[in-house]
Amino acid sequence: MAIDISLVNGTLEAPVQVTVTIGILALQGAFAEHQSALERLDLRDVKAPNVKGRLDKRVCVVLVRTTEDLDRCDALVIPGGESTTIALVARRSGLLDPLREFIKVKPVWGTCAGAILLSKAVVGAKRGGQELLGGMSVTIARNGWGSQVESFEAPLEVAGLKDPQNPYMGVFIRAPVLLSLDQPSEYPPIEIIARLPPDVIPHAVPDSETQNQIQEGSEDPKRAVAIRQGHHLLTTFHPELTQDDRFHEYFVRECVIPTLYG
Amino acid sequence: MTSPVSTPTPQGAGSAVTPSVPPTRSAQRDGTASSSLGTFGVKSGLAQMLKGGVIMDVVNAEQARIAEEAGACAVMALERVPADIRANGGVARMSDPAMIKEIVDAVTIPVMAKVRIGHFVEAQILQAIGVDYIDESEVLTPADEEHHINKHNFKVPFVCGARNLGEALRRISEGAAFIRTKGEAGTGNVVEAVRHERAVQSEIRKASAMNEDELYAFAKDIQAPLHLLKETARLKRLPVVNFAAGGIATPADAAMMMQLGCDGVFVGSGIFKSGDAAKRARAIVQAVTHYNNPKILAEVSENLGEAMVGLTIDDQLKGGHLASRGW
Repeated sequence: MAIDISLVNGTLEAPVQVTVTIGILALQGAFAEHQSALERLDLRDVKAPNVKGRLDKRVCVVLVRTTEDLDRCDALVIPGGESTTIALVARRSGLLDPLREFIKVKPVWGTCAGAILLSKAVVGAKRGGQELLGGMSVTIARNGWGSQVESFEAPLEVAGLKDPQNPYMGVFIRAPVLLSLDQPSEYPPIEIIARLPPDVIPHAVPDSETQNQIQEGSEDPKRAVAIRQGHHLLTTFHPELTQDDRFHEYFVRECVIPTLYG
Repeated sequence: MTSPVSTPTPQGAGSAVTPSVPPTRSAQRDGTASSSLGTFGVKSGLAQMLKGGVIMDVVNAEQARIAEEAGACAVMALERVPADIRANGGVARMSDPAMIKEIVDAVTIPVMAKVRIGHFVEAQILQAIGVDYIDESEVLTPADEEHHINKHNFKVPFVCGARNLGEALRRISEGAAFIRTKGEAGTGNVVEAVRHERAVQSEIRKASAMNEDELYAFAKDIQAPLHLLKETARLKRLPVVNFAAGGIATPADAAMMMQLGCDGVFVGSGIFKSGDAAKRARAIVQAVTHYNNPKILAEVSENLGEAMVGLTIDDQLKGGHLASRGW
């Protein structure tokens, strides 16, 4: 065992232990699956040059149901579930505005329903519309593939994951579809990190919804299933339903740790 | 621990454990090799997305909209709620597909519908009109007194009722991707749902402490497939999502079922047979999210108006004991 002391500012001090605290919005949906995946991560080998101290081996997970829970978090995961339910329960639990403020300053990852909530506009919402949290300059369509019988699994090639030669199995359940990736000047650039193969393009989204939004020569946004914008991450599929923790590792390494003491 | 390829071990729900073999009952999408439809992963995965939520019985599009606005995570479309099936008697069947389609068009949340136990053609019809989940339900009059539907043959996922661990694992071996307690539907009396959930939990605790020799004997005893019993013992929970159903009428009932270990609740007659359906529906949704917070439970339980009339469950119960249907 190494001795837990080092030379800091010319004096002997114990190195600072830095705990990465990640909240999971636990109002409805598959939050327990995200918790298991985050708790399996081992941060000892993750590079964190901006952190003055040592990372704790384990992520500290907080299930967020109140503003007090949210205040403890360095970052947030919004899980899969029903986006209308999550938005309505957030409103009634007084969490909607605190969540919007959180997203302005801290990293957030939305999967499926969470991806819908992170978008700035939604197509195919319930009558009367649904409330969003925003944070990413994209438009998204709910249930882009149709009903549950069209739900599917597909292998994905993902830029930036560990072991990139191994495809990542994407589980798409009544998944939403990105309709447009906008780039207003006040938002950071959008980076597409995973695309579907061209033969599994969603057919339930009418072309009229997207035609005028795809510019000549640019890529069809409907193929994008994982994107990053600044410190936010959006996946239209469910990494929490697999035993493959590479997306959780990616979020912590690329989106969360760089913002600590940054 | 490997399981026979012909009956894939379902993916763990709360524990998010992946089967050691990829789902084998995947139907390849026509003309492509790069995606698979109707895998057990996407069937049980949808149930995982419903966790922490309330699934409400509705009989028309208007009720479905009320349920969606209240925060239901799915609706169950049916012609008569269980309380009316109980009161009116007669044979209860799958609902009119036109009515189900109206409900599908009215809401964005998943729509479920019921078929009679063993009635695989009713299930084919519901799959063809695009419902998101099928409930092979004891609330309807059984169509087959020996066989349940072979649910592996469908792309649409199924939820089934169970009173104990053996029954739950038999349904999962037939392809159910989601289990609920049977309770006693249409009574507004939670006692049977509590009995069934406690039975399942207690048997799981027993199995978890057994060695392999004992598990062989226990599997025979409760008439459960051995590989699913082993998987349950390892996970210390059912290998699929488990909701409460049958008699839940108040926010406190719902929170109690959550504290007993359920992943969410079905509310049948309890909402639209009560005084103020929208308010009660909202309260039950809040109660399921905040099930461990008695202060919030007290707030949401205030001034809900008349609850549905409850029935005592005894030999004189009108409409009989629905939970005894299924085998």
